[in-house]
Amino acid sequence: MRAKPLRFAASVVPGVVALSLLSASLHAQRPEGEISPPAEESAGQAQPVIDEVKLIAQRAAMASLTGENPFILRESSWSGMIDPGKARLIQLQLFKRNEYHFWMAVPDRDAGVNVHIYDGNGEIVEGENIRYDVGNVAGLIVRPSESGVYYLRISLQTTVATPQEWSVIYAYR
Amino acid sequence: MVMNKTLLFSICLVGTVHISLSQGTPEKIDLKDPNIQFVDGSVIPIPLEIFTSLDKLGSQDWAKQVASYEITLDTNRSRTAMLFGLTISEGFIAVQAEDKEAVRRIGREVLRLSTSLGVAGSVESHANSIVHAAGKSQWSVVRTELDKTRQTVLNKMAELRDDELVDLVSLGGWLGGTRALASVLKENYSVEGSDLLNQPDLVKQLKDDFNAISERARRGEVFARISKTLEHLESLMRTDANGAISEGKVIEIALSTKQLVEAIYES
Repeated sequence: MRAKPLRFAASVVPGVVALSLLSASLHAQRPEGEISPPAEESAGQAQPVIDEVKLIAQRAAMASLTGENPFILRESSWSGMIDPGKARLIQLQLFKRNEYHFWMAVPDRDAGVNVHIYDGNGEIVEGENIRYDVGNVAGLIVRPSESGVYYLRISLQTTVATPQEWSVIYAYR
Repeated sequence: MVMNKTLLFSICLVGTVHISLSQGTPEKIDLKDPNIQFVDGSVIPIPLEIFTSLDKLGSQDWAKQVASYEITLDTNRSRTAMLFGLTISEGFIAVQAEDKEAVRRIGREVLRLSTSLGVAGSVESHANSIVHAAGKSQWSVVRTELDKTRQTVLNKMAELRDDELVDLVSLGGWLGGTRALASVLKENYSVEGSDLLNQPDLVKQLKDDFNAISERARRGEVFARISKTLEHLESLMRTDANGAISEGKVIEIALSTKQLVEAIYES
């Protein structure tokens, strides 16, 4: 089994995601980077807020969620903070014959982000990198050759100096 | 957070490229590298993700997998959380079978279970949408609302700091979907399809999460059985050198998951 000595504590976003862009991305506000809630937050006190970064990713996803053979967006997502020049790995279970579309977004339009996927042995998997007219969003389409565990690698280029809040959403078909 | 002007701009696709290895993107990563920063938090695949793949091998008899378990609630919230996850997975199976009556019944059960868990207020609109859309055979809407219902409950549990229940809802959902998948594969075995049960890392993660739950939240005989069954499934749900899971193992997975699901409903 792989070691996880430096687990980065980003929560699975408690996001109430709407499929359409007209719907807001809401989540319970929880400071990133903490597995446990801070002491001042207590049960039932979390306030729903718009998850703006997730909304950016959803806007990029919209075109792929309609049409003859649309991707089906999952309600689950991931989020966290990332420093320029750094990367994070997200472990996933994917299934053969499906196509998966991932989107990563950060808020700063000057930022550049990359998304790649690796198999259970750490080898990069062929996919289609999707580029948009803004650098702070990137997509990846992958068709796994076998069912099993995969690792999505997200990274932030050094085109910005400050750490960025990030969000990753995905869809399948 | 102030609304960012970024959101006002449209985002247009400008191109696709096959694996453009951007600056600093490695072709291989050492997963045991202690400097790798993994994102904590798992997303469990919903049954439809798996069913979608299986249906590409040919149409399956999902109607046969639609179960009608009677749910008797008690004060054990852990069991209720498992039942909630199981019921959502039954909803996904009923959608796949396009069984209107089953989906409507499940929509009502979802509301009853969420009431017992104290999160009905967040779920009610989704449960009503499930029932309404099923009546009109709007299966894509039902599918979306089921996933929203599931995620809404997980979010609410997380807000309430009920992380143990979050894990149990996820486990119940996975178990119900795996029960149906293994049953379909048992009835119509194919080497190709068996690969969908190759989930050793996912089972290990579910098992570890379950074993990390406090003893208090795992009280009752059925919870000891869950632990043992997950241990057993971890050894079964792994492809061999040919990339397949044998028919014998598929039968065993189908039996183990069916018995565990029944034990949870009947406990």
